[in-house]
Amino acid sequence: MKRTPDAYLRCALIAVAAVLLQISGLGSGRVLGAYVDLAPLIVAAVAIYAGAVPGAAMGFGTGLLLDLLVGQTLGASSLVLTAVGYGVGRYREVRDPAHGLMPIPVGAAATLAWVVAFAAVSFMLDIGATVSWLVLREMVATTLIGALLALPVFAIVRRVLRPVLLVDPVDLRRRRRAPRDAGPIGLRGLEV
Amino acid sequence: MYDSKVIRRRRAALAIFVVLSLGLLTVYFGESSGGALHSVQRGVQAVFSPLETGVNRALKPVRDLFGWVGDTFEAKGENERLRDEVAELRERLGESETARHDVRELRQIVGLHETEGFPQGTDPVGARVIVRSPTVWYATIGIDKGSDDGVRVDQPVIAAGGLVGKVTDVSGGSAQVTLITDASSAVAAQVMPNGATGIVHPVVGKPDDLLLDYISKGRRVTEGTTVVTSGFETEDGRRSIFPRGIPIGRVTKVDPDEAEQFQRVHITPLADIRGIDYVQVLTERGITTQAGIPAQ
Repeated sequence: MKRTPDAYLRCALIAVAAVLLQISGLGSGRVLGAYVDLAPLIVAAVAIYAGAVPGAAMGFGTGLLLDLLVGQTLGASSLVLTAVGYGVGRYREVRDPAHGLMPIPVGAAATLAWVVAFAAVSFMLDIGATVSWLVLREMVATTLIGALLALPVFAIVRRVLRPVLLVDPVDLRRRRRAPRDAGPIGLRGLEV
Repeated sequence: MYDSKVIRRRRAALAIFVVLSLGLLTVYFGESSGGALHSVQRGVQAVFSPLETGVNRALKPVRDLFGWVGDTFEAKGENERLRDEVAELRERLGESETARHDVRELRQIVGLHETEGFPQGTDPVGARVIVRSPTVWYATIGIDKGSDDGVRVDQPVIAAGGLVGKVTDVSGGSAQVTLITDASSAVAAQVMPNGATGIVHPVVGKPDDLLLDYISKGRRVTEGTTVVTSGFETEDGRRSIFPRGIPIGRVTKVDPDEAEQFQRVHITPLADIRGIDYVQVLTERGITTQAGIPAQ
């Protein structure tokens, strides 16, 4: 991603919009018994299109904003989302996923990592009460919803970030494809 | 392939963000509620509060739609009674149904004050819920009334049905409410009508189930009885922040543990903790004058 004020502004816009939607709009919306969780999806989307460092930065910023606005322990969400952003970004850099449905497993994995790691951090910090096994059901449901929402969320994030991306993985994938009317080695007129 | 400079830079960036997060966690835990980070948090909440109110109002139909979709999923595979409920939920999508729902919720809150044993003279301040915590680990909500409206830390908060929590943070135009389902919550309570007292704790991940602990085995508790705040006061002047007589929940199951000295009582909150749109903050302690609550 280009290091320009425009790029930072676009990332900040995505984070603020997602967090506000999360806590004010979708906070009470429950599907399959779980909340819709946009934070890990936008962090994963930025990481997959921009790389590990922008992903980690986006995770830190989004987590900080979430903690500030919800009144949670500062740093808890930042820590987990930084790891999620960095992890997804490294996956993109190492494996360069090219499939069109790539956002679904990536979104699901990012959401699962977020709910599990956040639960672990919460346990380590200040949870002194009885914990029900239903928490596991909620984690699974949140992950499923994350997988369902991944495609539109990734598409929106890509659309917002596209002007500031150095390399758009989707465009790159399209360019890699050989022309339809070409032969097996990519040259016209050599069909076998 | 990346050169070593890129790799070093990438790792340094990760280390900075992780150290920053851990630093925030450490300082936040170490400081009092009047500390610098808590003040920054309150400041940011105050700045975003009008924006949150706007987004909350604008997206009410979307939330209702999500609620309907979620309930429809849960209703699948259940009996005819739940099918009727799904049909009813469909109707609620309309704007008029939403308005009626709001009015009903507000009426129930107002009606709560007229129930027998509810503390009088509490000077309630009505508020709209504008923020909801997205995780089960922190059961908090944000409301659109703050210190400018007389709201202060530790004041009890009620919704349609009964007690939902207490104010834990206040800024000028908004406040944070920690719900009785939050892991940190504990409420001194009393079972009606026999007067057995205990402490109500949440079960994280099960907002429809609260635990009433420290009820001695000698006190008989029956299913269906109501649990209210006990509003205890000690001889040295300490007292519960909740006035006596606010309904909390209804006993659903009594679990006598042979090995323990106390019995464990499961209760269901009377207020719909997950679906709160409106609440009232009781800004004055009030007094419980009506009959029906035995003396402690």
